[in-house]
Amino acid sequence: MNNIIIAVPAIIGTILIYIFSIKIHKRYNYPFTLPILIATCLIILILLLTNVPYDTYMSGGNWISELLGPAVVALAYPLYKERMVLKNLLIPILSGTLVGSLFGVVTGVLLTKGFGFDAEIIYTISSKSVTTPVSMAITESLGGIVPLAAVFVMIAGISGGVLSKYVFTFIGIHHHLSKGIALGSSSHAIGTATALESSDLEGSISSIAMIISAMAVSVMTPWLLTILI
Amino acid sequence: MLKIFLIFIHIIILYAFYQIGNWIQFIFNLLIPGSVIGMILLFLLLATNVIKVKWIEAGAAMMNKHLTLFFIPVTVGIMNYFDLFKGRGIILVLITIISTIIVMISSGLISQWLATRKEAKQHE
Repeated sequence: MNNIIIAVPAIIGTILIYIFSIKIHKRYNYPFTLPILIATCLIILILLLTNVPYDTYMSGGNWISELLGPAVVALAYPLYKERMVLKNLLIPILSGTLVGSLFGVVTGVLLTKGFGFDAEIIYTISSKSVTTPVSMAITESLGGIVPLAAVFVMIAGISGGVLSKYVFTFIGIHHHLSKGIALGSSSHAIGTATALESSDLEGSISSIAMIISAMAVSVMTPWLLTILI
Repeated sequence: MLKIFLIFIHIIILYAFYQIGNWIQFIFNLLIPGSVIGMILLFLLLATNVIKVKWIEAGAAMMNKHLTLFFIPVTVGIMNYFDLFKGRGIILVLITIISTIIVMISSGLISQWLATRKEAKQHE
């Protein structure tokens, strides 16, 4: 009974805050007004102010996060819809995302290890370039800290989205195809949103790169970790 | 009303793929997440026309649109780890940003090189 009293407001409250944060992001469209950032901060603030521990909130929250698994499966649908773009640009898309995924995992792991952080942290940072639900799933199966994975993913997304135009100019990346691939591989959905501002094609290339790199990082990370650690 | 029912059925199908993925992960003792295995499996079955896209379309579109909602509760869990970002934790932020830029440059340059090479060949 006690559980239901907490669980129902937790579920409804989360959905309402989610809707509110989307409205805010539509009105003030900046990388730091991302719905996930606003919603997370608001809920944490409410829990701290009302003195509700996280575990109690999760008696309702679990009902929502149970859908993370099928939500990841559902990413097959946009990939399927864009299959003609994927087929036509298979070699550049595959090479770009695979090399990017490899560099992302290797540099993340080696730098973290070099600074002497725990294995738990190394596991958690290794998949930071991929979309949050997949990064969480990878972190969970490796034994890292799942909520922390979301934080690293957010940092990768926001920094990539904000810095991309400077990086592209400085390095000389000007082909729309490679911009889309770079944004999707490094900054997942936030990168894709940035790519969409340039053109629809760049956006769909970015979303393909995001999903392919999610697959690649899932497959290569456990294997790379055994070599690097 | 029919639409809601359809979305509900589609999510059950997606959930079944998730469970099949978990099962494959368990049987073969893999570290690849079951959800990702389920995603790859669904993509292959859609591409080979074994699964019709209309069997999952409405549910998948809905889940994609509201993807953020499903991971909010887990992200809130960061409230138990605030200590991590005191002191040395700030290094982790820098590592993440540096590594992100490296991914961007490497994937961008490789694909640009391949794409311009292909275009040059077509012009010949």
